[in-house]
Amino acid sequence: MRSRLVGIGTLVAVLGLLAVAVTGLVVRDSGGEDRAYRLEQKLRCPVCKSVSIAESPAQTAQDMRAVVARQIAAGRTDQEIIDYFRSRYGDWVLLDPPASGTTLTLWWLPAGALVLGCVLLVRMRQRRVDGPREELTADQRERVDRALAAARARVEEESA
Amino acid sequence: MNLVAPAAGWAALVLGLAGSLGLALFGFRAQRNPGSVSRARLRFAVLCALGGAVAAMAALQVALLTDNFSVSYVAETHARATPLLFTITSAWSALGGSLVLWSLVLTGFTATVLRQVRDTDDRLGTGALGVLGLVNAFFFGLLASSANPFRILSDPPADGPGPNPILADNIMVAFHPPMLYMGFVGFTVPFAFAMSALLLRRGGVDWLRRTRRANLVAWTFLTGGLVLGAWWSYEVLGWGGFWAWDPVENAALIPWLVATAFIHSSAVQLKRGMLQAWNFVLVIATFALTILGTFLTRSGVVSSVHAFSQSGVGPALLVFLLVVLAGGFTLFALRGERMASVNRPESLVSREGVLLLNNLLLTLFAFVVLTGTLYPIFAEAMTGRQLSVGRPFFDRMAVPLSFALLLAMGVGPFTPYRHASPAVLWQRLRVALLLAGAAAAAVVLAGVDSPGVVAVVAIAVGILTGSVRQLLATAPKPRRRGIPRVLLGQRAYWGGQLAHLGLVLVAVVIAVSSAFATRATVTLDRGDSARFAGYQITFDRTERHRQPDRESRDAHIVFREGGRVVWTATPRLNRFTNQTQQVGQPAVKEGVTRDLYVALAQYDTSKVSLNLYRYPFMSWLWVGGLLMAAGGLWALSGRRRGGADRPADDQAPAGESPRRQTPEAVTADA
Repeated sequence: MRSRLVGIGTLVAVLGLLAVAVTGLVVRDSGGEDRAYRLEQKLRCPVCKSVSIAESPAQTAQDMRAVVARQIAAGRTDQEIIDYFRSRYGDWVLLDPPASGTTLTLWWLPAGALVLGCVLLVRMRQRRVDGPREELTADQRERVDRALAAARARVEEESA
Repeated sequence: MNLVAPAAGWAALVLGLAGSLGLALFGFRAQRNPGSVSRARLRFAVLCALGGAVAAMAALQVALLTDNFSVSYVAETHARATPLLFTITSAWSALGGSLVLWSLVLTGFTATVLRQVRDTDDRLGTGALGVLGLVNAFFFGLLASSANPFRILSDPPADGPGPNPILADNIMVAFHPPMLYMGFVGFTVPFAFAMSALLLRRGGVDWLRRTRRANLVAWTFLTGGLVLGAWWSYEVLGWGGFWAWDPVENAALIPWLVATAFIHSSAVQLKRGMLQAWNFVLVIATFALTILGTFLTRSGVVSSVHAFSQSGVGPALLVFLLVVLAGGFTLFALRGERMASVNRPESLVSREGVLLLNNLLLTLFAFVVLTGTLYPIFAEAMTGRQLSVGRPFFDRMAVPLSFALLLAMGVGPFTPYRHASPAVLWQRLRVALLLAGAAAAAVVLAGVDSPGVVAVVAIAVGILTGSVRQLLATAPKPRRRGIPRVLLGQRAYWGGQLAHLGLVLVAVVIAVSSAFATRATVTLDRGDSARFAGYQITFDRTERHRQPDRESRDAHIVFREGGRVVWTATPRLNRFTNQTQQVGQPAVKEGVTRDLYVALAQYDTSKVSLNLYRYPFMSWLWVGGLLMAAGGLWALSGRRRGGADRPADDQAPAGESPRRQTPEAVTADA
């Protein structure tokens, strides 16, 4: 009875603590996220190998960051700013390929693989060999216990 | 014009090629008909291959160290002014030489396999040697032809351009590439044994047990190589990060993910006799992915800071990759089904169930990264339009997968095999859950508002608690003696736990350092100051330094905290002798609680533009990564099982029921 109470108490405590954490996160407004930085991370630096303009120390990237800042100040939307760079540099500039057109495949391939994997996992469970579960007889159980005790004794002896 | 070194080097490559072909021939013949080939012949062939690789590397070193510019490789990668350390490391800092190192490592692994093959009755072993002979022959063939570093220039230059500047600046070039190759190349051994087992139509766990060490060695080195590589790129590339999801970085990560899946699934086969066919798939895939990575790095199909120059070896590597894929999977398709294990999990709520989930997640992770890496190549080939797949895509995919993996990691190691009742699970996990909840609440109350950080910290605390509870619960009393006994006795399990804790630390640091990073770009005239992350930073002066191989110009940026100078950063621009391009080098101050990072964006003696970063707790990332590798080493340090001390393998028929495994097999892994 007592262990049961402890168990329930623990469960309540776990849920309570998680509730505190979640409420704390929800209530607090994470607010003021850096919109320019988020946009810059999606744009590829044209003169570097594979980093965004947010990260690149190159002059071109600095100029592009200035353009992003100006356009944000001018009240353009994210999509307008992205489109602006896309029209100037082509699809190549987008590090975050859109889920449409030629890059749609890129999005459904992982999703397809996930579904396939889950199906395989579940089927693996279902397809297991049916047939009577082998239950050990009392005699067999006793033999297992004896072998186990002998092995344990041996280990104890070795490590002593 | 000294032609001894190149001639000797090329002759050594031909010797290696001959030895490898001989090994393939004798190995396969011995597998088919054990009496027909003596072990001495196999040994001779292996020694020829190994000797060839050693001699080729020696000849390359001699050519580099004696400034022998009549050798093509030296003329392309060396300069008279290159310091000794970077002269030695240039032996693998360009294409031809890196393949010589590859061959050296591969023949080394081949020699260790030979040591386990006590006589030619060991058909699994001789077949594996045959496969290794073929793979060796491919690389020696490549070296002796299109990638030959020993071509003789009729009109040798007086001096060369020196190594790639990024590879001539940091001590890591002496550690990262060799470690990475130990990892990449090591996966050839499990592949060879798997192929041999398929050729023999012999399932069972014999090939798994015999390749466990090679596989763990490879995984440990690849882990270490990836961590050192990340640290290196953080230190030198100057964009303030350590992982750019660059194609070449991905090419090393993908095999790591699949190999990690294999380490876990091989445990399931050893313990529960399941996943036999799946293990073959993973091993073939891991090897094929290492070849794919080699192809991507060396063919010029991707643009990357890490890629080697464009060369003629691309098509050869592509053909080899296709041969490996076609050969491996055809053999598997013909033979694998018959060897598929009959055992199925009784319940998915069990250790094997969680390990299956782990395999699903890791292979999915690898597939996503592979898709994102290759997609631009295929898209350009199909539509002719260039497009990019970068960090936002990879992060969006990797973050949920990583969280799922972390959750599996918190449950799996503490779940019993076969079937876990809710009562047992609750009993084993309740303390972990309680402390994880407490950690989450504490972190939120302390003012952290990033859900990612809160979740990672909670999971980390849960995993750590679960591990400690497991240790205390399984250690016999008295604990003072019992705990070391368990840690020393069950090295596979506790090595795995150490690797898990290392990964958890890595996850926490990635979340924390990116959520609480401070970034700024400032432009300062000489003598001016600015505020950054609580520091007052001043552009003090510039200096010029001449070294034999380079001229560097730096800016002295003084960091003051409360009037006290805490650090003078000297980010610099290097111009190497005989090269025109300038290479920036950031200044990094690493600390226990935070890293400061300064990179030059624009440089003038009177005015500089700086990219400034402050990352909390960044140094712990490398600690976490090294803990992972240490976990691999701990698992390896255990008693040697299988292989060398076993007589010729048991003549078990294909599809051997795992119920008839020896007790040793059942206890071999955790």
